[in-house]
Amino acid sequence: MKLYEYIIRRIILMFFVLLGVSIIVFYLCRGFPTAFAPWTPYIHGKMTAEQIQEVIKSHGFDKPLYIQYFYWLKDILSGEWGYTGTWAQHLPANRVFFDRFPYTVELAIAATILTVIIGIPLGIISAIKSNKLPDHISRIIALTGYSTPSYWFGFVLQLVFFFYFSRWGLPYLPSSGAVSSHLIGRVPTITGIPILDGVLACDLEYAWDAFLHLILPSFTLSFISLGFLARIVRASMLEVLRQDYIIMARSKGLKERIVIYKHALRNAMIPAVTLTGMFFASLLGGAMISEYVFAWPGVGQAAVQAVFQGDSNFLLLYSLVLAGVIVIANLIVDILYTFLDPRIKY
Amino acid sequence: MTASRFRRSEWEARIADLKFTLYFLRKNSLVISGLIMASFFIILALIANYIIDPSLAYEFDISRKLIWNNPIINFGTSSTISYTNEIFLLGTDIYGRDLLKMIILAIPLDMYVAFIITVGAAIFGVLLGAIAGYAGGKIDEILLRITDIFLAFPGIVLALVFAAMFGRTIENVMLAVLLVWWPPYVRLMRAQVLSEKEKLYVEALKALGASPFRILFKHILPNSIYPILVQMTLDYGGVILTFSALMFLGFSPSPALPELGNLASQGYFHIFDAPWLLIFPGLVIVVIALAFNLVGDGLRDALDPRLRR
Repeated sequence: MKLYEYIIRRIILMFFVLLGVSIIVFYLCRGFPTAFAPWTPYIHGKMTAEQIQEVIKSHGFDKPLYIQYFYWLKDILSGEWGYTGTWAQHLPANRVFFDRFPYTVELAIAATILTVIIGIPLGIISAIKSNKLPDHISRIIALTGYSTPSYWFGFVLQLVFFFYFSRWGLPYLPSSGAVSSHLIGRVPTITGIPILDGVLACDLEYAWDAFLHLILPSFTLSFISLGFLARIVRASMLEVLRQDYIIMARSKGLKERIVIYKHALRNAMIPAVTLTGMFFASLLGGAMISEYVFAWPGVGQAAVQAVFQGDSNFLLLYSLVLAGVIVIANLIVDILYTFLDPRIKY
Repeated sequence: MTASRFRRSEWEARIADLKFTLYFLRKNSLVISGLIMASFFIILALIANYIIDPSLAYEFDISRKLIWNNPIINFGTSSTISYTNEIFLLGTDIYGRDLLKMIILAIPLDMYVAFIITVGAAIFGVLLGAIAGYAGGKIDEILLRITDIFLAFPGIVLALVFAAMFGRTIENVMLAVLLVWWPPYVRLMRAQVLSEKEKLYVEALKALGASPFRILFKHILPNSIYPILVQMTLDYGGVILTFSALMFLGFSPSPALPELGNLASQGYFHIFDAPWLLIFPGLVIVVIALAFNLVGDGLRDALDPRLRR
């Protein structure tokens, strides 16, 4: 199979996956009686009873569930994602999503960068000093990372770096939000990403403030996930170091540093690339709990609120975008593989 | 005669293999410490209800709420006015209960729930994976696509939506978590079956006329059980984290339920005036998860033929 044939096949499969995701979420959101009627986002206080009946009819809420699904499908294919609940002032779901998405992107990029610059060296040290003290320390850091609940770690960081540091008179970090409240709205929204907006508007105070707000949430996210990366790098590094061409390189008399960083690392990086890609994709969906803990105005926190208000419109949009991002990231990683390792063919 | 001799040598090989594995585990002090911690928590979970009266969880005394009278650690936050002479090692919570006792009561629930979820997810995933791998063709394709759909969800989202829609009972939250954790087992088992089913012994069994069911579950499954057991040990900590996260977000059936995530969620509104409410339950979760992860990680290294040399 040629590479482009493979890509086309995967894209076709992607639509089936998205369809499946939407069916599952649709049935979960609409199929069970909750306190929130699905048509509440579409109506407002000034409507008469007839108008409400009209709304219910036009969106098919009086029909059986599987017919409602087609009504919904028709709606979204014409670009209408419906409205959100009271938590987002009944704005259209897609507007809420895309207003908040840049914040999530900012957090995802920061967390991924941190994870890579801590996780990969940790894994390399672990592999080189395999079963010695540095390996044990790195193993403990990695395993503690993925044994830590993100909500707990987030709060402990807030407690130390915000509460105690301010009590002790040390420079402290902000505990919640993406920018300080007195700076909100000071720069025009161009990209929606606070740091970038601050830089573009040449308002360095704003950008610095946004940067300070980013530190704790991104560190929380990267701490709980750098363990996976470090362990994968260690395992693949150990495997590569045992191969013949490394022995060859060593017996040529190359310096150990060159053997490791020039010969071994490049091949050992392949699994790490996959994992980083997948990690970034899942963060683009918003780390729901970390965003909730840090009151980060991204899509993940919105999704938590939407869950508690039974807001099916937002949840459907959110899970579809999320699943789409993850499937596309999978595809990109698979394609990257063929460039990183020419032996792989599809 | 020949059969018995063959069997004995096979057993000897297995025992030698096991000894080799144990040797690897013994060499790794982290695994040993993980094992000790894990067995401590398992024993604690088994006896918790006998050393602490479970009905204490529902004895509220608001006059004793948020007391911190432990002189060694000073959070420097609460007024610590206490009208009783009782000692609370880890302080009291918003209902005036002793936090230490509540944590001990919470450990069995969390560990039991995580055990059920892990085993349930493994059984479900292994069944589907075995069928997909052995049957191949269309069935394989369909099962894999269904798994893909579930893998495309980021775990916690699906669990949240499920738990929100079905209501707040422990069983529903367990089902929600299970929904998230089964897909990797399908992949794992399918890969195992695919590599095993090409081997000679399966061909011999087929020639003998063994049924697919027998081949799969009496021969292939025992030969591929180790990676699944390792995965289960590694998942156990993650399952506790997911379950307690859902409880933390407010899916607990009762706000007073002694469950680690739920106990920690009391601290959400008291993070700067009673930090112990969040710190200690969370710390216990970290230690339990870490114990099982240490064991799982060591097991994976010890059983991985590529790392054994």
